[in-house]
Amino acid sequence: MNTNADQSSPQSPGDGQEGRRSPSEGTHLYGRHNLPLSISREGLAVSIEQAGETWLYRRECNGNRVEKKLLTTANTVLINPVEPLNRPKDITSYLMVEFERPLMIEPGVRRKIFLTFPIEIGIFMPSKKGLEIIDVLTLQKQKFTLYGDPRTGVICKYWKSGIHAAEPQVNSIQQGIMKLNIVNAGDHWVEATRSIFNAYGMKLFYDDDMVSMKGTMRIVGKHMAETEFTNAPLKRDMTKSIELYTARKLVVAAPKFIMEQGL
Amino acid sequence: MRLNRVIYGDVTALDLLSVILIFLAAVILAKGLTIYLRRTLKEKVSQDKLQIISKAISYGIMAVALIASFPILGINPSGLLVAGGIVGIIIGFASQSIVGNLISGLFLMLERPIKIGNSVRIGEYSGMVEDIRIISTSLRTWDGLYVRIPNEKVFTTSITNYVAHVARRFKYVVGIRYSDDADKAISIIKNLIEDHPIALKKPSPQIFVDNLGDNAVNIVVRMWAPAQEWYELKMEMLWKIKKALENEGIEIAFPQRTVWFANELSERELRDTQN
Repeated sequence: MNTNADQSSPQSPGDGQEGRRSPSEGTHLYGRHNLPLSISREGLAVSIEQAGETWLYRRECNGNRVEKKLLTTANTVLINPVEPLNRPKDITSYLMVEFERPLMIEPGVRRKIFLTFPIEIGIFMPSKKGLEIIDVLTLQKQKFTLYGDPRTGVICKYWKSGIHAAEPQVNSIQQGIMKLNIVNAGDHWVEATRSIFNAYGMKLFYDDDMVSMKGTMRIVGKHMAETEFTNAPLKRDMTKSIELYTARKLVVAAPKFIMEQGL
Repeated sequence: MRLNRVIYGDVTALDLLSVILIFLAAVILAKGLTIYLRRTLKEKVSQDKLQIISKAISYGIMAVALIASFPILGINPSGLLVAGGIVGIIIGFASQSIVGNLISGLFLMLERPIKIGNSVRIGEYSGMVEDIRIISTSLRTWDGLYVRIPNEKVFTTSITNYVAHVARRFKYVVGIRYSDDADKAISIIKNLIEDHPIALKKPSPQIFVDNLGDNAVNIVVRMWAPAQEWYELKMEMLWKIKKALENEGIEIAFPQRTVWFANELSERELRDTQN
């Protein structure tokens, strides 16, 4: 899978040497690292060590160990959060965030809330066409669900989140923060229990402390809403993640998702 | 000189050679284009759509070649309408089954009850759809055998498409001993399903005591899975359930019968009266 290397955010500090860290400085997981690399965090260990003419990639995540030989001339690796839809299998491109408590919304109201979402971490190596992913790992429990009925519905990655009025404190290796603007454009009070997002269109940003997304949920009826992402970070100076869900298919699904089988 | 020899009407051997070369070029072009398309679009377009695209392009090039060769062969296309009608009737009578298969193939492509790559059962055959051609459909059975089914049969027989819907349900019946706690068993199974990523959160799994059997308390376990993944989950979960129950001291019941002997009863009664 090829991805465009030139996706750093306008606010990012730059993609040159000043953004790179040597293993000794490797206190932060996300970003570009020089090889050899060795990073260890809670339940997560990634290393790329020279083994003769080749490199040996090792990672351990939640007790699950993977080893790969890398035949490369590259001397850097990029680690950044990716759309949380690759593990345990790339089954769907939809993420369902179920609210811990139902949300009642008055007609005409526009409010912002903060949700959490699961983190998947992508390991990228440089290639001729940009950057290519060699592994995806996650510390989060995985679950899938069905939105709608089996005939017309869609399989979604499932995540349960609390509804927060301000940015919640989360571990950026495990959870990200989504700022969601909810707009009730209908004429009635609406009870929303979940929000579904399409990974084609997901815009992730990260810095040393946080992984974030910004989205909008526009409720247009008692049982219908549309969701989409905003291409903007939650804070200044955040770096944009490399997107995996871009133009993998010739006919790219619209980045919006229409929730027409209930809220 | 021989190339200028008239074969019929104004058509010379050179014309015939030109037509052959046109068809040869068309075949090479169609083949080359379809190979190129398959290579470039393989990861971007689903397998069934790719097949339809490449076939449409291939047949389109051949049709263009055929039409282009008509003037060279001295054939008037308007004359074909009359001739075609007569020939069509003759061919129709002569090859009813082929025409039937062809029309069924067209309807199959329009209705699309199956797609390339789907897991299906067509009549007595089960397997994965490998190709849907104009005349026939080919399956690769679960044993890896190639089966070619005429489209007329595919169209008129019952088709079960295992992956037409995005999710499907399957069930187990787990029989535990009467001495075991069924509520505890249900809770263990529920947690096991909840922990498995592929077993869907919703529709919720159903786990309940279905009946009190001759030898066991039968617990029905129903769960939903993505249609493409259900069989892997089905293979995995039953043994996990068995092991999880046994780890908690709940055992799977096996058929047993308690037999009372009449003389043993009378002996026991005698012993009881003596005591």
